[in-house]
Amino acid sequence: MTGGPHSGGCQCGAVRFRAERLGRASVCHCRMCQKAFGAFYGPLVTGHGVTWTRGALKRFASSNLVRRGFCGDCGTPLTYEHDGGIELAIGAFDDPSAAAPTLQVNPRERQPFTDGIPGLPMRAPGSEPRQEDFRNRVISHQHPDHDTEAWPPGGLI
Amino acid sequence: MAEMRITGGCQCGAVRYALHAALEDPHICHCRMCQKAFGSFFAPLGSVPLARFEVTRGTIATFLSSDPTERGFCRDCGTPLTFHHVGNAHISVALGSLDDPASARPGRQYGLEARMPWFAALPVLAGETTTEEEMGGFAARIASTSHQHPDHDTAWWPPEAGR
Repeated sequence: MTGGPHSGGCQCGAVRFRAERLGRASVCHCRMCQKAFGAFYGPLVTGHGVTWTRGALKRFASSNLVRRGFCGDCGTPLTYEHDGGIELAIGAFDDPSAAAPTLQVNPRERQPFTDGIPGLPMRAPGSEPRQEDFRNRVISHQHPDHDTEAWPPGGLI
Repeated sequence: MAEMRITGGCQCGAVRYALHAALEDPHICHCRMCQKAFGSFFAPLGSVPLARFEVTRGTIATFLSSDPTERGFCRDCGTPLTFHHVGNAHISVALGSLDDPASARPGRQYGLEARMPWFAALPVLAGETTTEEEMGGFAARIASTSHQHPDHDTAWWPPEAGR
């Protein structure tokens, strides 16, 4: 992993973090990662020199050995923490593309359709006017993909 | 014929829900807002009519991620649970929060403008290393001390309440 530091945070912006360096990036197919992320796998990258630059995590001890951190205000899954270190949710980074996974963990537990997901049919841009209309009406309350001076941004519309 | 009942909930079990209809349009969405909300590369979602969605335990916390969209999660463990366009007659659930996600095969992908550039390569990544092989008994110790709610409805929560 090159570059750094790498910043990120939750959807609403109440919790922000910085990692000086990133280690192994992976997707974990175990049922506990699936459930914690509400998804088909947990996308995690080892963080080195992790500091919390805004707010504080809430944590759930998913087992005696592992704590999973998230934002108590918006729910974004953020960490997988064990005695040996901390892993960060790749999608929570301001630039998730910088943490391309190199490994599948617990592949035997993967959902039967997971391998086929990248090849699923795609909707051509502009092909569904109702969706385009929805998108045009969205006023996002998501924190931007970079650090900000203040939070929350003054006066949500 | 028995009424349809598809169950799911969060990791810790504080929130449980039941769907009383078949899931419509199970899909994944790569948009940046879904990525962020799920801490992942995409959100896996499928919908049912709002009237067919029942919270059977606890309360879903919500974040208004944009004016038209409310995202639900468990305030105790963070699991992303729902996606709802305010005023819409349907609500979507996070497919990984279902007790049986294998039954909810996604059929389409949306939000391609934000799809990770290496997304198509994920299925062919090396996959031999497992937690068990890599870390000895770590996986077994996790399994034996898991605080995750089982993948079915339970009579009470938290588990200690039944002891």
